Amino acid sequence: MPEFPADVPRAALPGQERFVAPLDQTPLAETGSFDDSRPPENQWKEAWKRLRRNWIFWVSVALLAVVAVVVLLPQWFTDLDPTYAQLSRSLEGPSEGHPAGFDRQGYDVFARTIYGARASVLVGVLCTIVVTVPGVVLGAMAGFYGGWLDAVISRVADVFFAIPLLLGALVGLAIINNLWPDRGYWGSILTVVFALAAFGWPQVLRIARGAVLEVKNLEFVDAARAIGKTRRANLWGHVVPNSLAPVIVLATVSLGVYIVAEATLSFLGLGLPPSIVSWGNDISAAQNQVRSGQRLGVMFWPASALALTSLGFILLGDAVSDALDPKSRNRE
Amino acid sequence: MAWYIGRRILQAIPVLLGSTLLIYAMVFAMPGDPIVALFGEKPVSEAVRSQIEQQYNLDKPFFVQWLLFLGNAAQGDLGMSFSGRPVSELLAETIPVTFKLALMALVIEAVLGIIAGFYAGLKRGGIFDSTMLVTSLLVIAVPIFVFGFVMQLTFGVKLGWAPVTVGGDASWDRLIIPAFVLGLVSFAYVLRLTRTSVVENLTADHVRTARAKGLTDGQVNRRHVLRNSLIPVVTYLGADLGTLMAGAIVTEGIFNIPGLGNLAFRAIQQKEGPTIVSVVTVMVLIYVVMSLIVDLLYAWLDPRIRYA
Repeated sequence: MPEFPADVPRAALPGQERFVAPLDQTPLAETGSFDDSRPPENQWKEAWKRLRRNWIFWVSVALLAVVAVVVLLPQWFTDLDPTYAQLSRSLEGPSEGHPAGFDRQGYDVFARTIYGARASVLVGVLCTIVVTVPGVVLGAMAGFYGGWLDAVISRVADVFFAIPLLLGALVGLAIINNLWPDRGYWGSILTVVFALAAFGWPQVLRIARGAVLEVKNLEFVDAARAIGKTRRANLWGHVVPNSLAPVIVLATVSLGVYIVAEATLSFLGLGLPPSIVSWGNDISAAQNQVRSGQRLGVMFWPASALALTSLGFILLGDAVSDALDPKSRNRE
Repeated sequence: MAWYIGRRILQAIPVLLGSTLLIYAMVFAMPGDPIVALFGEKPVSEAVRSQIEQQYNLDKPFFVQWLLFLGNAAQGDLGMSFSGRPVSELLAETIPVTFKLALMALVIEAVLGIIAGFYAGLKRGGIFDSTMLVTSLLVIAVPIFVFGFVMQLTFGVKLGWAPVTVGGDASWDRLIIPAFVLGLVSFAYVLRLTRTSVVENLTADHVRTARAKGLTDGQVNRRHVLRNSLIPVVTYLGADLGTLMAGAIVTEGIFNIPGLGNLAFRAIQQKEGPTIVSVVTVMVLIYVVMSLIVDLLYAWLDPRIRYA
């Protein structure tokens, strides 16, 4: 290597020029001016800020607020009894006090639509809870601990995932309907919930496991370990809360989808028994009137109520997904 | 590659075994005596009963029955339906019908979904985009059988353009309306997936490069945006074939199509164990095979993905 003359700076070696701004021009103060007096905004607060500015969010909130009132206080909307049949008025059109007319059995369609909300929403909400809790717990454990635990949990989930939801739920309901034919309101609702949940949880598990796998190697998890947190505390205190975003989106959207699934099961005759006032049962009962073109209103009312409710949850899921996904900030 | 395929097939075996075991256990738990069901009104003598029990292995413990079922199934013998016909024969009759229906639904949802999603993504925020987004949400929110009834009433009863029910003759033209109904929900997902993907690709570096080198808008959109946007869509469509075949249970009921879904539904109602187990096994097989194909397709479409 040749000796460099003392007056030539080393940085000036040909092909190796480095363009470093002179020290006196570098605004060193800038890096120090970062405001660290307040803690950084947490991701939920930031998401809430974005959510508030989204009109879709407010539309879905308005829809769901109406649904909630109808579910809790149906007597505010109608004085009529949904289980009181006047066969003499079968399929009568709308009249004073009966805005939606009567169905084939002579039930008031409007009253049934109002009272039917409870069963549908209950199934949707309970199903989502029953699916999400074990899905997140097992998914988080599988993703975080890995190894044989992951292998076992994932394979068991695969077994349930491989069976189509509707088909599995139908077989399950066929069994329970026979073993336990008369099981009352809550018994029937819970049966449908568990039949759907039995084949729905692997989807949550997969999403939760994937999210945990992404999060578990980030710096803040190492930092928590460095300050002496146990693996378990780290998992439930740091990893899980930071991987919930995709699970929340899935839960909101699937709430709407489970409401539709309940209606489908009731339509196939294996969901809720006909004694329970529900949208699925009413739509199913109206099929002959629609097929023959006799009176479309009989199906229109429960079907629209169902569609609006499920739409409310799906819109909410959409809005939440936009708010929680930082990538979408650049997109919109 | 061969290594990867081999490993995937090995992984699929426990899933397949587990799913059949699960559904077999559920059917086993079904109350009711299959022998009584077989004889209907007629009384069954003890001798005949024990003979049938031996013939169909009903006297053996659950686990042995399951293993025997697997062994017979591997040889093509899936047992007998209550009507006395081999289940394999019933499957051979119904699978082609449902496959045809699902394939038509897949083509319809793919063509409509990709075209609509592509234009919605190009003109994001426009009237067409908003209309399509609202439509797709409505389609997901309304139960499929409501659409089925409306289509049946409009095209079958009122306009008379299509048969009200399909019945025994499941030819292509008679299946168009049911296939449309079946593919409707997936159409909404294809549309949304294509749209998101197009929006993401529009700002990608390779698209900017393509514009910079002087290609026209049409060339850029078709060759660079659309083609790259289709990767997630194609994989979704692959996985959807199995979902469509399973979802056909409702569509086939409404339009009275003699397919796999109809067979499954009747079997569930009549608690016909061998048929239920066989139909579910077929569904699981389709799912396992399709997810393998999708994973391989993914690597072929996106060369960045490598299999270890």
